[in-house]
Formats: sequence, structure tokens, C-alpha cells
Amino acid sequence: MAAHAHTSAAQPAILNEVNPTPFPRATLVENNRSFGWVTDKISGIIEGKTPTWWWVCFVLACCVASFTVAGITYLVSTGVGVWGHANPVNWAWDIVNFVFWIGIGHAGTLISAILCLLRQKWRTSINRAAEAMTIFAVVCAGIFPVFHVGRVWFAWYLFPIPNSNEIWQNYRSPLEWDVFAVSTYGTVSVLFWYVGLIPDLAVLRDRFFKAGNKVRSFLYGIFAMGWRGSNRHWSNYEMAYLILAGISTPLVLSVHTIVSFDFAVSLLPGWHTTIFPPYFVAGAIFSGFGMVLTLMLPLRAIYGLQDLITQYHIDCMCKIVLATGTIVGYAYGMEFFIAWYGANPNEGFAFINRAFGHYAWAYWIMISCNVITPQFFWFKKVRENTAFVWILSIFVNVGMWFERFVIIVTSLARDFLPSSWGYYSPSIVEIFTFFGTFGVFSVLFLLFIRFLPVMPMAEIKAVMPQADPHGHAPTGHGAPELAHSSKH
Amino acid sequence: MKRTFDHPAPSERELTGPKYWRSLDELAATPGFKAQVEREFPADASTLNGVDRRQFFKIMAASFALGGVGLAAGCRRPEKHILPYGKSVEEIIPGLPLYFASAMPSRKGAIPILAETHQGRPTKIEGNPTYAPYGGATNAFVQASVLDLYDPDRATVSTVKGAAVSAAAVQDLLAQINATAGDGSGLAFLAGQSASPTRAALVAKLRAKFPKAIWAEYEAAQDEASASAAQAAFGQNVKPVYQFAKAKRVVAIDADFFQSESHALYYTREFSKGRKVVKKDDAMNRLYSIESAFSLVGSMADHRLRLASSHMLAFIAALAGKVSGDATFAPLSQGLEFKDQDKWLDACAADLLAHKGESVIIAGSHLPPQVHAIAYALNVVLGNVGKTVDFVEVPAGNAATISTLAGSIKSGSVKTLVILGGNPAYDAPADLGFADLIKSVPNVVRYGYYVDETSQVSGTHLHAAHYLESWGDARTADGTIVPIQPMIVPLFNGLTEIEVLARIAGESVTDSYTLVYNTITGLVGGGNADHVFRQFLHDGVLQGTAYKKVNVRFNAAGLAPIFSLAPKFVALSEENLEVRFTFDAKVDDGRFANNGWLQECPDPITKISWDNAILVSPKLAKHLKIDPAGSLLQVARKENADYKQGKEQAFIGEVTLNGVTVRGPLHIQPGLSNYTIVLPLGYGRTVSGRVGKGVGHNFYPLRTTSSLAFATGATLKVTEDVYALANTQEHWSMEGREIVREENFKEDGTTDLGFVHSFGTESHAPSNLGEENSIAELAKLSPEERAKRKALLAVETPRGQSLYDHPNFTGTHQWGMSIDLNTCIGCNACIIACQAENNIPIVGKDQVLRGREMHWIRLDRYYSDGNIESAAFGGPGNKEIPEDPQVSIQPVGCQHCELAPCEIVCPVNATVHDEEGLNTMAYNRCIGTRYCANNCPYKVRRFNFFDWNKRSLDELYMGPLGKSGMPELVKMVKNPDVTVRMRGVMEKCTYCVQRIQQAKIKQKVKAGASDHVEIPDGTVKTACQQVCPVDGVTFGNIKDPTSAVSKAKALQQDYALLGYLNVRPRTTYLGKLRNPNPAMPDYAALPLSRTEYEKKNNPLHGKDSGHGHGHGHSDHGNGHAPEAEKKGEHHSFLRGNNLFGGLS
Repeated sequence: MAAHAHTSAAQPAILNEVNPTPFPRATLVENNRSFGWVTDKISGIIEGKTPTWWWVCFVLACCVASFTVAGITYLVSTGVGVWGHANPVNWAWDIVNFVFWIGIGHAGTLISAILCLLRQKWRTSINRAAEAMTIFAVVCAGIFPVFHVGRVWFAWYLFPIPNSNEIWQNYRSPLEWDVFAVSTYGTVSVLFWYVGLIPDLAVLRDRFFKAGNKVRSFLYGIFAMGWRGSNRHWSNYEMAYLILAGISTPLVLSVHTIVSFDFAVSLLPGWHTTIFPPYFVAGAIFSGFGMVLTLMLPLRAIYGLQDLITQYHIDCMCKIVLATGTIVGYAYGMEFFIAWYGANPNEGFAFINRAFGHYAWAYWIMISCNVITPQFFWFKKVRENTAFVWILSIFVNVGMWFERFVIIVTSLARDFLPSSWGYYSPSIVEIFTFFGTFGVFSVLFLLFIRFLPVMPMAEIKAVMPQADPHGHAPTGHGAPELAHSSKH
Repeated sequence: MKRTFDHPAPSERELTGPKYWRSLDELAATPGFKAQVEREFPADASTLNGVDRRQFFKIMAASFALGGVGLAAGCRRPEKHILPYGKSVEEIIPGLPLYFASAMPSRKGAIPILAETHQGRPTKIEGNPTYAPYGGATNAFVQASVLDLYDPDRATVSTVKGAAVSAAAVQDLLAQINATAGDGSGLAFLAGQSASPTRAALVAKLRAKFPKAIWAEYEAAQDEASASAAQAAFGQNVKPVYQFAKAKRVVAIDADFFQSESHALYYTREFSKGRKVVKKDDAMNRLYSIESAFSLVGSMADHRLRLASSHMLAFIAALAGKVSGDATFAPLSQGLEFKDQDKWLDACAADLLAHKGESVIIAGSHLPPQVHAIAYALNVVLGNVGKTVDFVEVPAGNAATISTLAGSIKSGSVKTLVILGGNPAYDAPADLGFADLIKSVPNVVRYGYYVDETSQVSGTHLHAAHYLESWGDARTADGTIVPIQPMIVPLFNGLTEIEVLARIAGESVTDSYTLVYNTITGLVGGGNADHVFRQFLHDGVLQGTAYKKVNVRFNAAGLAPIFSLAPKFVALSEENLEVRFTFDAKVDDGRFANNGWLQECPDPITKISWDNAILVSPKLAKHLKIDPAGSLLQVARKENADYKQGKEQAFIGEVTLNGVTVRGPLHIQPGLSNYTIVLPLGYGRTVSGRVGKGVGHNFYPLRTTSSLAFATGATLKVTEDVYALANTQEHWSMEGREIVREENFKEDGTTDLGFVHSFGTESHAPSNLGEENSIAELAKLSPEERAKRKALLAVETPRGQSLYDHPNFTGTHQWGMSIDLNTCIGCNACIIACQAENNIPIVGKDQVLRGREMHWIRLDRYYSDGNIESAAFGGPGNKEIPEDPQVSIQPVGCQHCELAPCEIVCPVNATVHDEEGLNTMAYNRCIGTRYCANNCPYKVRRFNFFDWNKRSLDELYMGPLGKSGMPELVKMVKNPDVTVRMRGVMEKCTYCVQRIQQAKIKQKVKAGASDHVEIPDGTVKTACQQVCPVDGVTFGNIKDPTSAVSKAKALQQDYALLGYLNVRPRTTYLGKLRNPNPAMPDYAALPLSRTEYEKKNNPLHGKDSGHGHGHGHSDHGNGHAPEAEKKGEHHSFLRGNNLFGGLS
């Protein structure tokens, strides 16, 4: 936050006089906790004994993950036919799941990067876990496009590797764009996450060292890359973080835009629409925040993190879900309008078919979950009921999965020539494969909460009232974001 | 005695001493090894026996007789004697196929073919163009017959009481029959019908030798009635040959002359000639079809009347009454009743009378003789005889019927029964109980290609050679003699039928080649017989041997005995149904049950593959309460059966007739006569190969001697059981889309052939080829100019108003195709031809149910009834299954789009364009993302979901745990010019690129240093084009404005399917014309599909101008003022959009 401090310092003091009285800001860490408490609290999760529930969950998650492993082994050894795909529905759960997971991966980077650039300080409590979620979701997402191909052993043809046949990739294909978009997104997300982790890893290194655990201290030390907390370190760190935030920001928008191009660039009625990029990005953020809520609320309850993830945080997330959910709802309506206004009979049919055709059930699940569910968040009472928020967040996740299903499957099942119309239903293999990815995700997430700080200690401290070197109360000053560098 | 010409057999000392072999060949000759191999590879065991030297020389002689055409005729390279082609075998160029003339025998006829052989291995059948009546066309059965040759399930050994016997034992057995036959009492033969002169000669000899023996012939498909009526009417053994090309009016009385009638290929070709409209003043024939089932003739009909088969006599009598004004027909037509009957008959009769000498009345061969008699009479009255109907003299059949034979067996007088071909235990009339009769005969020798139901009850089974392994001869339906030549040494040393007969007759000459040689040379006589025979084998036809045309005199008096037996008119109802037996379009009478290509080829009308079904009319379905409910808010129109998750879920029905009950799935077939249920025969085989066993349902048990084609008095009960039918087309309606574009032909020469451009999205969208190339501008040009402009458009870059560069079409040729929807009858021949040419695998019923069939070309079949009110939301017309639909059929393969949407989306460049405009597939590069298939608007790409070629169909889901690999025999049918695709890759029509390449190479060789590398037009024929009996497919270079395809595309009625997508398909279609009679009660000013289009897209216009259509085919005729026919107007964008009409 050195950069912030720098710019703020240049702010003429006189402006304070003309600024309206600042609206009291919500406290981001409640009960006036000290820096030490924050460190203890977050490090304690890692340092403590592995709880039994963790082991139970971990073993369970491994079992669930084995479904994916088994499903994919069967798929690769036998053929794509073990799934339910057929002409005309050549993509179904595979791509639905891919887009679903990629969408979930949106919240993390959005929180870390865009909210960072927008100086939304409430992001600090949730960004670490959200970023981890992003990476794990991208891992789950990546499984599907790789393994859905007919000859996965040649999937490397997708990468621009020089070969003796001098065949290059087809850069006109949105699938090729996906390869770059998703891999770039994955790489940058990992880097961003890792850079943010460095100061906290150093904390753990030091704490384990003091506790006499040399091995763990050594391992954390390697990953802390010699972090000493010096001004020079902080200065470089802040710059790196800012640059990565800058790089990540367009990626948040680009990756789902490009995923939406998989459909928008085709000429299928129901896919071939220009509204897809913004609509997909909004949907992704919507689903991403849904997933963050789904994960953070139990985490908060289990580890007693109510002081760090406050009602204010939940409110903020609910409001984003409400906003993006409404955008998504608008997009659904606009699609219908354009289908009518565009006067293309096939396009018109595709949408009527979505709402009233053989897959109408999926469409109405989608509408109920995505358009109706978020509207509850208008009400403060709802937002304050954590259990209810959590249930609604599940609905959001379900709804967004169905959105992709509706887009992909209904459009394919009934396109231009009625002679080829068909109906798709999944095979047990693809149901299990998808089910297993939740296990993969859970395994990774459980490992994350066990071994890495679930919240950025350094950044949380920066937004605490104590962080203000001048001792101002956070509400009493026009520029409370005047953070400083000494955090630890 | 078999003589070998390889290594001498190992001596005793060699066998007992230490084992050294001089060569692997010698090792292979040891008895132990042989036995082991025989056990291990029964399929290949024959190859170890070596080639019989005599056989070899016979074939050699025959080959040389071909006048240098080559050694390869029928000489399969014996693997044991492989020699490197150090000195090449004459004429064989490795990699290039050779073609030999032959013929595929069928019941009472044969279809002349050219067999494509690769190094002595037949892989593909083409029609023989030297036989003019068929002009190189064949049908699906002929195309698929090559698969039977390599069927691993064919009978490979002869057996006596189930134990394999040697070839010598078989010969002894046949000699034994001869020796013990005496005067023939106790000896009986039951053979299939054949048109082989050699067989006829042998039968004559048999009869002379064994005068008391019974010679009976039986085919499940009977056409005796037509012959007996002709005999009675004309006092001669004559049969009619119809000249459809000269006929302006055709009335088909339950006659499927496109498929099931004898000489169907000729009729199809000739009919299409009278259907082709190139200029608007061309004449077009008019087809009235009166039928009970829905046949392809009905789908082509301009007026189709649904009528029970048992009412055909009444119908033709009524028509004859109207035409002749003769009241004597009235009693016969008593009881006949259909909607607007008088108006219908009057208009039809008037139309016929107005075209005297230019019409054809044809009755289905299964109909009773009275119908045929009246049909002949009508042809005589209308002056057609000698003009559109010829009568030819045919030899009298003197075989006993199966009933006579059954009587003899029952009386116990038959001691030895020889069954030649056929499968009487399965398909004989049920009342004969033939399987049990066979069992009661002490000595039954059955000669057949498969071990089937009949073999099972026969003591001895002699395994037959395939016709591609046999010497033989046959007569086509018009009498022309054609040779049957072997392309390969019999793979399993099977016998030919004539050889069996010759041995039983005790002939001195028993080998098939000499038998045929003697017959043919005996027929032509003269000193130059040898030369004639050579010419015969080379040409594949013996010109001038067709049956003689005779002048006939109609003798009404002779018909009296026939009419005294006329059946009574029986009114039908739900409780008194008519059953109509048809032969399944896939497996015929059951003989092709083990042919996977045919099994998987969807029925042309029902689109059901791998099954038959009890077909019921929508009205009957409603009565039975199996009428599907449809979804609450009907988006798409009601489907013609209940589909659950894309699978047709058919209730099992039970049909009872005379106390016998058969079961089968019920399929609701629009367009059936209300109370006729159609039972396609040929399924439910219990003893067959792996493909055909237990597939479908057997309806033969209902069929008795007195009801071979149809019967009344049946009842139908629906059970609770549900059965999944593998229907390849779930949806029957075009949804009012401009897919198959149709228009009514106007006989006054005012037909607007540009009608195809007056509707559809592109008719009101800006031209995507630029203003100067808009449809309106192009229409102003002369056909030649238009062809030139279009040829330029194929290569010009950039074109029109496109923002993007055009692909680089720099090739010498620019390939394109034109498909004439007006002549396409939907016979499926192209599907099988493509399958044979391009090594397309079959996937089995389970996978077809999932929608994974692999056909590169499919025939879309749409029903329309003119009702689509409130387009999307189940308007009144959408709540009923049409009872009287019009059928439109459209072949769709890869369209080879110039701006191919599949290519843009392939991430790895596996599907790309070549400079000659082909959309190519690089299988090796394909990783199987399937994005191309998703983005293909025509949905013609096919994905290999499993290793279809390596895995057996019942083990697809077993993955690596299942057996892998293709049986050796099956490998032999593969076309070596086409890659066999593995799992995980996409495939699709290539325009037969291998044929293009071969032609290009040939042309390049010819061109040498010159640059005349352009292939002359017509050199390359795609497989679908080659087989097409109506010449509906034109393929060639569209860059050359004088090529046939350019000329076809320059026609006004040329349009691109989904043209507005601007993908610029290289395959375009010629619009379909119908030629209804304005005086008919069911006349519709617009074809019904067009009516649907107008109602959906232009509801105001449609209603105001009277295009609205009554419900059902039979009640239109209202509101179609002739002035309403003009509808070339430009449809307004806003009015043209009624998508949400139902909502508002």
C-alpha cells in the first residue's frame, strides 16, 4: 500500500475542508482486536493440532475425488462414448462443468485485483481464500476441456509446440483462445496468490522457528524467499502486488469473455449472440461470489472468525451477488428481446424452446435460482441470517450450473434442421466425473486451510484502526486509507 | 482330387526325425499345424488348403477370355503362395482397382454390376452402365451385398447332422441323391425363384431324368396374380413392361414401383425422366398413388389416397367405371367410400382420358388378379398398350407351389427334400407349418448361404458360395442375359446352385463355368460362340436377349373365371382391421437380416433402423389411446410417437388374426389408411448371425396361403410393455422452415422456377454475394451467363460485401454438387453406397438409440400437412398427428461450405479447406473436440465415440477389457483408398476425395508435360452419384461453366440450404415441384410444406390470400383461388416474423 500512501501524501490538505463529513465506515475488524491477536488467530489455525473434522472431511473428499479419477480413466481407456454425448449434442456436461468451474474461479481474482485497485478494503478478509478457491476451481475446470477430447493423448496439439509437420494451431478458433486465456489466467492467479502469501509465509516461518519446529520453519522459509519485512522488501512487494493486480484485472474480464466466445463465435441459434461476453462475466462474478459465500461462511463459523469476517463483509458480498444476479437476469430478458427483435426465426425458436421446450425444467431452475434467489438480498434481515445466506449461495451455484447447461445443451439439441434434433441425457459416468471434481476441489481447499494462512494477516492489519500511525479513528479522518508500511 | 502345386508333402522320415523345416510353408503344411490353425482361425482355414488347380485354371482361362482384361478376375492371392510382384501380374497395378462385369441375382431377375476389386478382392459394387435400362444404377441391397461376402457369420462348412464334412463328402452326398433317385418319386426340390437360364436348363434336365420328382419354387414375395391375370386377359404368357418416361399420368394402385416391384430400377429411372423440369415449359408427369402403406411412391405422389389394400379392387373398378362409363364395374366397387369420392374419381378419370396413350395404370404385384385384370383393361381402354405399356413374352413358369409340395410331404411321399436357397422354415405361409414338415422328411439337403431356421431343421446343410464367388448367369427383369462372374476364389469353397443341381442331375459337366459357357454358347450358337462369350463376360450383358415385345389382344371374356372369384368388399373398422404385409426396406424378406449396413440404414419413411414395427394410422392410435400427449406448451410440433429422452418408446401391440397373435412395437405412421395396420416382414429371425439374430419381430406367423399380402379381420390390442425403437429422426415436421422448398408445377408453362428464392430468410436479406450477384440480378441472365457468373463466383476473391478475405480457391477444379429434390425418391441407395465406398462403420441399435449413427449422408424425411397456426404454441394444427401428410425427402451430406463454420472453430487445424474447395478432414490431426460438429448447421459431422472398427458392438463399453481388433474377413471389405478411422476423431463426407485424386492422377499421367490437367467433366462420380437411380446427384467442377454441375446450379430452382448463414455451401439443391391436378378435391394451391411456411412466417398474408389450409389433406380444396397462387412478393421483415405471435 505504499503507492497509496504516496499518492495520498500529495493530496492537498485543503480538500479536507471542502469534503463532506465522511460517512462512518464500518469496522473491518471488530472488537478492537490487536495486531497480535490477528496473527495468533490466523497462524493458530495452522499451528494447532489437526482437528478430527478435518481428517474426516479430507478422507471423504479424497473418496469423492476418486470418482473423477475413475471416471476419467474409464473415459480415456474406452472412448467418449461412455458419456451421453451424441449428435447433435456434442458438448454437454463436459463444457458445462468447465464453464461452471471457470466461472467460480472469477471471484478470487476479482476480489484480489479489482477490489484492490478500487481500494475496497473489506476485501482483505476474504481475498486469500477466494484466490485459493480461484486456483482450485481453475484446476477443476481444466480437467474437462483436456479430457473431453476424443484423443486426449494428442491434446498437446493445442499448444504451439514446433513439430516436424509444421502444423500450427488455428488461431481463429475460440477453443485455441481458451487454451491461452485459461492458462494465462491460471498462471497469473497463482502468481498473484503466491506474492500475496510471502509476508505471511515469513510470519509462519518465524513462528515455527520460535516454536522449535525446524522442518516446517525451513519449508515455510523456502517459500517466504528470505522475506525480512524491510522497507525495501515492502516497497518492492507493494509494487509487485499492484502490477499483478493490474495484470489480473483485464484477465478477470478476458477469461470469461473468451469462454463466452466459444459460443458467441459459433453460428448456432442461442449461442451466436453479442451479449455473451458481459453476460458471462457478470454471471461468473455472480457464481464466484456465490461460491465464496458457500466456502467462507462455514469457515468463519468453524474457526470463529466472526471478528475478521464481519457482517459488513457478508453484506458486501451479498450486495455484489444481488447486483450481478440482477445483471444476469437482465441479460436473460435481453436475449429474448433480441431474439424477437432480430427477426431471425431460428433464433426466436431457440429461445422459446429454451423456456418451453423439452428442457424447460432446466430453464426454470436457472431462472428461479439466478434471478429470484438474489432478490432476497435486498433485505437486511436476509443478509444477517447467515444460514439463510449460505443456503441462497448454494442456489446461486446450482443456478449458474444450470445456466451453462441451458445455453449449451438446449441450443445444440434443437438447431437449424429439425431432422437432426435430439435429446441429451448424461450417462452415469459424466455425473460421477462431475461429482468427483467437488472432491478434488475440497481436497485442495482442505489442504489450503490446513497449511496456509486463510487470511492475509499483513493486509488485515493494514486496514485496522491501529494501523493508522497518527492514531486517528478510522471514521474521523478524511483519508483513512493512509496506510503505512510497518505492519508487523 | 485336390492337387497342390507347392512343396511336396513331408516324408515319413522328415516327420519323425528332428523338426527342421525348409520353410515356413512347410511347417504350415504339417497336419498338426494345420489342425491347430483350423481350430484357431476357422475363418482362414480354407486358405491353407491351397487353390484347387483345376479351379485356378478355370479362372485363368476365363480371365484370359476377357481379352486381356486380366488375370485378376477372381484370383484371390492364395496367401500360401505369395510371390513378390518382381514381375508384375498383367494389368494389376498395386493401388489401382480393377472392375469386372457381373450381376447380382435377385428373385426373378438380376441387377448388372461392375465389381471393384483391389488385388483380387471385391470391395464395392457399381452398376453396369452398359445395361441401358438401369444406366449404372443399383439399389441399397446390391450395394450392401458385398458385405455379405465377408460376413464372419456365413456358413463356412457343409454339415451333416451338425458335423462338418469335407468337400468330397458333399460331392458323394449329391451323387448319392442322383444314384438313389430312380424315377424321382420321393425326391422333391424347393428352390427360390431364379432367372438363370443355366438353372432353367438344368431343371429341365432334372425333370427329364426324374419325371416324378417335384420341383417347387417359393418366394415370400409373390407376383403370381399379375401373371395369371395377364394370361387370362391376353391368352399369352406375357408380362407388362411400363415405359414411365413416356407417361404423363401415372396411377399406381398400391404399387411401389420404386422399390418392391420387379424392374423397379428401370421404372424409377424412367419415372424420374418424366419428372425432371429444367425449363418452365418442360412437361412434368403427374402421379396418383392409391396405397395402404406409406411407400416412396406415395411420398412422390401428387395426389395420394389412403385406402386399404383390400379395397383396391373396389377402387380400380370405380375408376374403371368412370373412365369407361361402363356400369358393369359397379358391383365390384360396391361399398367403396372415401372422402370426396366422386369428385376424386371424376377428376382422375378426366385427367386420364385427357391423356390417352400417355398414361400408365400400374397395380401392385401383391394385389389379387382382378385388380391386375382391370388395370390391364384400363391400359387398353386408354390406349396405353404399345405406347406406355409394353407386353413381353415370358417363359411359362411350371414349378409347383409350396402348397403342393407341402401336400406331398404331408402325405409322406417325399423321402428326399432338396431345399435350394430361400428360408422356408422361416418365411413359408404359416398355415403350412413348413418347419415341422421339413422335420418329417427323412432326408433333407439344404443348400444355403447362412445357417438359418431352415438349416436348423434340415439334416444336411451345404454351404453356398456368394454370387461374387460364383460363375453363373441370370436374366434381368426385361429378359436380358447377364453373366455372374467370380471376383474371388470361393473363400470357403462353397458350391454354386447350378453345380449342386448338375451333380444331382448326374451331369457329366458339373463345374459352373462350363455350365454357363455351354448355356450361353448354346443360346447364341454359331461358329463364333467363343468370341460372343468373351464379349458377354466383358460387357456384362448379352445384347438382344431381352424378352420379345408382343402385340396383345385384350380378351375380356377370358377374365370371367377370374372375376367369378372376386373377393367381397369388407368394410373395415377398429374391430375389423386389415393387416398388410410388406417386405422391410432394410432386410427384404429376411434374407439380409445379417447385413449390418442394411440393418442400420433407416427405413426411408419411418426412419426406424434395426427394427420393424407394427405401423398404425394416427386415427387408430387415437382409438388405442397411444396417441402421444405432447408437451403442455408445444414448442415443437407434436412428434409422431412418444419420445422419451430422444428415444422412441413404443408400446408393444398384439395383432390377432384368425386366432394367431404376433407382438411388435407400435409405431404411429402418418398417412396410413385408417384401419390398415402394416406389418413389415423380414425380422424376428431366430437363427441368424450375430447381427440379425433376435432383431425385430416376426410377423410371418400371421401370414397364410390365403393371405400372403393382406388380410382382414384382425384385431389389435395394446399391452403395457414398452419397447425402444432406434429411430434416427425424432422430429417429423419442418416447423414451417424453408428447408425443402416446394412449389406447384403449372402445366400451362407459367411455373416460376425461381420460387426457391421467393421465400426463406435470404429472400429478404441483403445478398451476401454483392448486389450485382443478387438473386434478382442473376435471374435476369441467360442460363449460360448465369453459369459463367456462378463459375466466377467460385474463385473470385474477395466477394460480395464480405469484410473478410475469401479462402484461396486457386485449384484447377472447384468441386461442387447439385442434388435434385424433385427427382430424389429417397431410396437409401446412396447411404449404403457411401458406406461401402468410405468404410463407414456400423454402430448397432444401442448406439443408434443414442444418436450416434455414422452415415455420411442421411435422408431427412419431413411430413407436412399445411397446419402450423400459432406457429410455436401448439395451434390447432399442431395438436394432431397429420393423417394425410405430404412427405418431403432431402439427402444431406457435408455441404462443403466455402466459408465452413467447422473449420473456423477447430483449434488444431484438423479440418481445413483445400484449394479446390473441398472441406477436408485430417484424421491424424483431429483430437476430437467436437466443436466442428456443434458448429455445423447441417449436423452432418460424425464422431467416433468408440472404436467402432476394432470393438464388437456388444463390447463397446468394456474398453480395454473387451476384445480388440477386426476379424480378418471383415478387413477385406474395406476400401484400401480410404482411411479406417479410429475412435476419438471426427469424420464426414469428403465428396469421395479418393475418387477425385485417382482421376486427377490419371489425368496428370495423360497430360504429361502439357498442362491439360483438368479432368473432363463426368470423369469423377461420387459413390452416391454413381448409385443414384434417378441421376439426382450431379457432381463436378463448378469453375467450368459448361460442366453438368454448373448447368444444374445455373437453373433457377437452385438454392442453398440455410443459405442466409453465408457459409456458401458447395452442395446446393434444386427445389421440389409437385404437379397436383386443380380439379382434384385435395388440390392445394401450395405444397403443404410451403403452406406451413407461409402461415408461420407471414400469417396475415397467409390468411388473407386464402393460403390457409383446411385440416388434413382430404379436406382442402377450399379457399385456394388460383389468383392466390401468386406469392412471389417480398415478405415484409416485420410481418414475416411471428415468432412470438402465440404469446401476444
